[in-house]
This record gives sequence, C-alpha cells and structure tokens, in this order.
Amino acid sequence: MLDAGLCRNVLISYGHNALSSDSLLAMLMDFAGDDAVFGHFGATGGYALAARRAMHEFNTGPQTWKHIAVGQRAWANLNPHAVMHGMPMSFDDYLSSKYVVEPLRLPDNCLVNDGGRAVIVTTLERAQDLKHRPAVILGLGQHNPSVQVTQSGTLAGSTGARKACETALSMAGITRDDVDACEIYDCFTYTVEVTLQDYGFFGPGEGESWFSEGTIGPGGRMPVNTSGGQLSEAYYMGLTPLSEAAMQIMGRCGDRQLGPATNTAEPNIVLVSDNGGILQAHSCCVLGRI
Amino acid sequence: MAYKKPLPRINGDNREFWEGCRNHELKFQKCASCGHVRFPPSLVCPRCLCRDVEWIASAGAGKVYTYAVYHAVYHEGFREDAPYVVAVVELQEGPRLLTNIVGCSPDEVSCEMPVSVVWEDVTPDISLPLFRPSV
Ligand SMILES: [Zn+2]
Repeated sequence: MLDAGLCRNVLISYGHNALSSDSLLAMLMDFAGDDAVFGHFGATGGYALAARRAMHEFNTGPQTWKHIAVGQRAWANLNPHAVMHGMPMSFDDYLSSKYVVEPLRLPDNCLVNDGGRAVIVTTLERAQDLKHRPAVILGLGQHNPSVQVTQSGTLAGSTGARKACETALSMAGITRDDVDACEIYDCFTYTVEVTLQDYGFFGPGEGESWFSEGTIGPGGRMPVNTSGGQLSEAYYMGLTPLSEAAMQIMGRCGDRQLGPATNTAEPNIVLVSDNGGILQAHSCCVLGRI
Repeated sequence: MAYKKPLPRINGDNREFWEGCRNHELKFQKCASCGHVRFPPSLVCPRCLCRDVEWIASAGAGKVYTYAVYHAVYHEGFREDAPYVVAVVELQEGPRLLTNIVGCSPDEVSCEMPVSVVWEDVTPDISLPLFRPSV
C-alpha cells in the first residue's frame, strides 16, 4: 500500500485489558468449541498436546525449555517495562513450578497482562530523517498449514515456520548465518524451540544442547526475545517480538541494548516470527539496518 | 444429579456422529471417491473434494497420538477429575479424535499406547466416546 502510494503511514496497534477483564478467558473458552466436552480449553492445552508429541518424537522437554524460560527472564531483568522485571528465575525455580497442563508448567506459559504496543510502517524515503535510524523490512514469508489441530501431523514440526523462514531469508538475500538476534513469538517455551528448530538453527532434539550455556540470554551467541518476550515482558500478540526487533535495530533499548552494552553482536539483522492457532499459521520477517 | 460439564452442540454436520455415539457406535465419513476416512464430519472430502460419503462404524481401537494432563481447572465441571488426561487418539481406520483417557492414572499414559473405546452415557441423548488402555 505504501509502495503503491495508497497511504503514507500505517499504524499497527494492539491493546487489551486481558488481566483486568475476563475477555481473554471468554475468547479462549469460546475457541474451545466441542473440545470443551472433554475438558480441553484454551491455548495451553493445545500446545501441551504439541509439546508432548514432540517429546515422543525427539529429545525435548523441561530440560530444554528451562533454558528458554530462564534465558528470557534474564533479559526481562534488564527491561524496566517488563512485567517480570525484578523477579529473577533459576533452573530450580523453573523445575519446581507447578504444572498448568502437563508437560507445560506456569513459566512455560506467556503472560496475561493489560497494556498495548504499536509500530508505524512508512516508506524508507520518509524514514530517512526520523529521529532514530529505521528498522528496514528486508524480507517476509508466510506459510499456513492450517490443518485441524487433532488431524495435524506437524505438531512436532516441521511447522509453517520452515517455509516461511526460507521465503523471508531468500527475499532478504541473506542466510541464517547473517542473523544477529531473533525475536520469536513465544506463547509457550516449546513454540520458541520448534520455531528455531524449523528455522534450521539446530536439528530435532538438539535444542537442549543448543540452548545450554546461555546461548539466548544476555552475552549469548544468539540472543532471543531480548525484552523478556511474551513469557517475561508482556503479551501483545505478534507486536511483542516485532516492536522489540525494531527498537533494538533503532538502538533504543537501554540496558538490554544488543551490541557492546550486553556483550552481544550488533543487531544488524534480526529475525522476527509470528504464529497463530496451535502452530497452524506462521509468518517470518527479516528486519535490519541498511 | 444434573450433568455439570459442557455438552456437544449438535448441528447438521455432526448429527450422524453423535447419534451413532448414542448407540455406542463410532461412525465416520468415508469418501466414496478416494476412500479417505475423515473426522470431523464435513461436506466435502479434504483430500479430493468429493461430496459423496458412506458412514462406516469404527472398531473402536486405536493408539494415543498425543496427550496432555490437565492440572488447572478451567471449568467447574472438571474440578473433581483433575488431574485428568485429554488425548488425541488415532483410530485404526485413520481419523484422530480428541477424547479422554480413563481407567488408568495419568502417569501410565504414553504416546502410541494401544487404547479401546469405552462409552460414558452422560444424558439420555448423549454418550461420549472415551478410551482406556487395551487389555
Ligand atoms: Zn476423497
């Protein structure tokens, strides 16, 4: 629309009083349909089915997911806006927390919070003289298997993430090796694992080793969800990862800024994901500096 | 005592399935053209788009494709059941069904475990297909 001159600036916004109202629960209960007959409600149950199948097909489980929950919490502790700021989490804290829908524990789940987030998309020409350097959209990809969840054979991957990422990287003219950081839609810890796995950062079952040694946290070799993400900053649907990628590229992230401040690579290329349903829809975006 | 859990919403698509359940029969649509056995019921075959079907009765045997153990209570009707097992069971005829695993503790459930249908008559019109470990 911008290229065609149909508009000059596009505002993408999200706001929800999810914590102080019952609207989120009402939406998820309605979403359950006849699954409610068997006591199957909401998103945690659906992702628990996916995560359990993944545990059957390859090496994964709490020993992998603890690295994601703890790594993202470390980022949240550098972000004063994060809901979980000031609340450090250890592996023991994670492993001793209660199950919601097993195998998913409370810290495997994204937050429920009030708030909002917005980004503005404009032309590169218009962005040249803005106060901050622009975060440029270098590539986009979507892939939506959209199969009815119980009939889906892809709960343990490969999800739509694989093709969406290939498309986005190809449009950007880069490879995975060029990526400096990832902002991944993290409704659940397992979503982060299966997305990065389908993006090709590691093979099925290699996540536990890939995530260990603080790979995704401050000072890590592949920072992931540097605001704390939906698990530890706040849930604003796809705008949590997208806005954080843009802010990092603009250099507006303070104590959690990628680069020398956090002993990480400069965020020249950031891979962003969004994900819908129970791994039924996926979009991938490459944002970067030019 | 009145049944406290949600009941299925019967419509033109799923009426034949739930009427089968009332007679303790698991009935699925089989495509008259390509033979694909499908669930949930639908107007056209998801494989070949053919509209013609025959309804077949399943033998009620299958295996656990995946499962989740509900510790949280989202609906008062399930409070006394928790922790309870929601599972996707893959039937020998092909389709997968969302259901509950009963007759064993949650710790005893595993993916690929063989299971058989067991019927729970919850109202005069509605019987639910649940599954238990095969003996
Ligand atoms: Zn067919």
